[in-house]
Amino acid sequence: MEARCDFLQWLQMDMSLNIFMSLDDPSDLIRASAVSPSWHHFVTANGLCKQLCLRLFPQLSSVSFVTEPSCGLKKSADVGSSNSVEWEALEMEHRAYAFLVRALTTFTPKDCIAEAISASSTDNFPEESIQNTLDPRDRVLRRASYWSSKGQSDPSVPETLIYKVTGNLCVITEISVQPFLAYFQPGFPIYSAQSVRFRMGHPRSPEDVESDPRNLPLQHPADDKFIWTYTSQEFPMTQENYLQKFQLPEPVICIGGFLQIELLGRVQRQEMDGLFYICVSYVEVMGQSLFPAFDVKNLEPSGKLLLKYNPEVQHCASPISSYRQPLATSANMLHDNLRGLELLLNMLHGNAPDHEHNDWDDDDDNDNDLDLVPM
Amino acid sequence: MSSSLEKNMLILRSSDGEEFIVPEVVAVMSKAIKNMVEDECASNTIPVPNVDANILAMVIEFCKKHDESEAEAASDLKTFDSEFVNRGQEALYDLITAANFRDVKELLDALCQNVAEMIKGKSVHHIRIQFLGYQLFEILTSNFIWNIWCDRDFD
Repeated sequence: MEARCDFLQWLQMDMSLNIFMSLDDPSDLIRASAVSPSWHHFVTANGLCKQLCLRLFPQLSSVSFVTEPSCGLKKSADVGSSNSVEWEALEMEHRAYAFLVRALTTFTPKDCIAEAISASSTDNFPEESIQNTLDPRDRVLRRASYWSSKGQSDPSVPETLIYKVTGNLCVITEISVQPFLAYFQPGFPIYSAQSVRFRMGHPRSPEDVESDPRNLPLQHPADDKFIWTYTSQEFPMTQENYLQKFQLPEPVICIGGFLQIELLGRVQRQEMDGLFYICVSYVEVMGQSLFPAFDVKNLEPSGKLLLKYNPEVQHCASPISSYRQPLATSANMLHDNLRGLELLLNMLHGNAPDHEHNDWDDDDDNDNDLDLVPM
Repeated sequence: MSSSLEKNMLILRSSDGEEFIVPEVVAVMSKAIKNMVEDECASNTIPVPNVDANILAMVIEFCKKHDESEAEAASDLKTFDSEFVNRGQEALYDLITAANFRDVKELLDALCQNVAEMIKGKSVHHIRIQFLGYQLFEILTSNFIWNIWCDRDFD
């Protein structure tokens, strides 16, 4: 049998480093770190998991990293030397990055929109609120369910939709947008855009996170309240009424938890007023939230971002798969209920959209109009 | 001997005293030798301490092939590389040390990549057998606590 030998003992350190750095799959590196105490020490002491993580996701290098102070350093108290404190910190960093890089690279994408935040314009609020884009149906309670921009005579005026995704750290692979087909208008126009672009980021000021991003008015533009740290390429959109999938070239980490969909170029004019509109019936964001194992905090006053690692959550079994579903489900149910209630209230108040609120369709005096939703 | 040496040839002497006549273009693929030649501090015979004849011959073989095959298809070279690095671990490590010491980047990269390939996609258990052997493995497991989380989560 051929002699087996440990290269860590044979080779100079930088050669071993060279070998470990050739491992570009996080699983390989993490397994290697479990081979023996000396391998584990080597991987940990050189911060190889962190290096790999930053190599795969360069966006993360802009974020400071901390672990919750309550954990990890417990053991060092009785040892008492500063070396061991340092070592504990390295160990914790290794585990955090091992967990992070693994979570970022192996997951089954799920819909991870938590809520709608704002639309750059809304033609009729709340009937055509961005809220409607969370529901895949294009009819809810016998009413059309979609978001509509305000009309523009210039087809190049863009629109933006902003959403909060689950957790403040979320890896996103694909975004889908379904343009709305106005089935109540003659000719069934589809108010799509020419192309779409995606941005991800975090609120500009820490107050915006802590107080209430949910209370930003849905119908008012909020783009200036965010700092977008990622901008995707532009994806062409077709003027068809199906859920159009836009796969990002590689998974992107949404640091801060906010996503902006930029709709560029209008293609459909509304017959009644001759203005261009963009309407979206449904939006889906596929990815994986890393909450609660990881959280991102805005630091006052620098505005710097802090990545928080919460190891206790990691150890109470799979944070990756189990925690999200119930959260998302309850959120959706809440949305559904609220939306139904909202519609009901509107109808009771006689606020169902009709002629009185339309300033353009004076010559349109047909009773059927009650079923039509103004754009 | 050196008097009969053609121009642009160098003699490399291994740690155990064996001499190899090598074209200068091949020899200077080692950055360390290149620096010596450029600084003109090398006579025709260049000592290569720390590298024995056996390993030096392999390094020279690799460099020659890479020098000759500059015009050849990259895929041929790839095949050669993968066959070249396919050796026992001891020879591999000696070659890595030599390639590092002599600063032959292409060889070094190919060798390290090859060792990395022995790790990629393998279970912890398999890597242990590959690099540590069974007995060491048994001693290790006794107090190797992080197995618990590593194996559970990542194997």
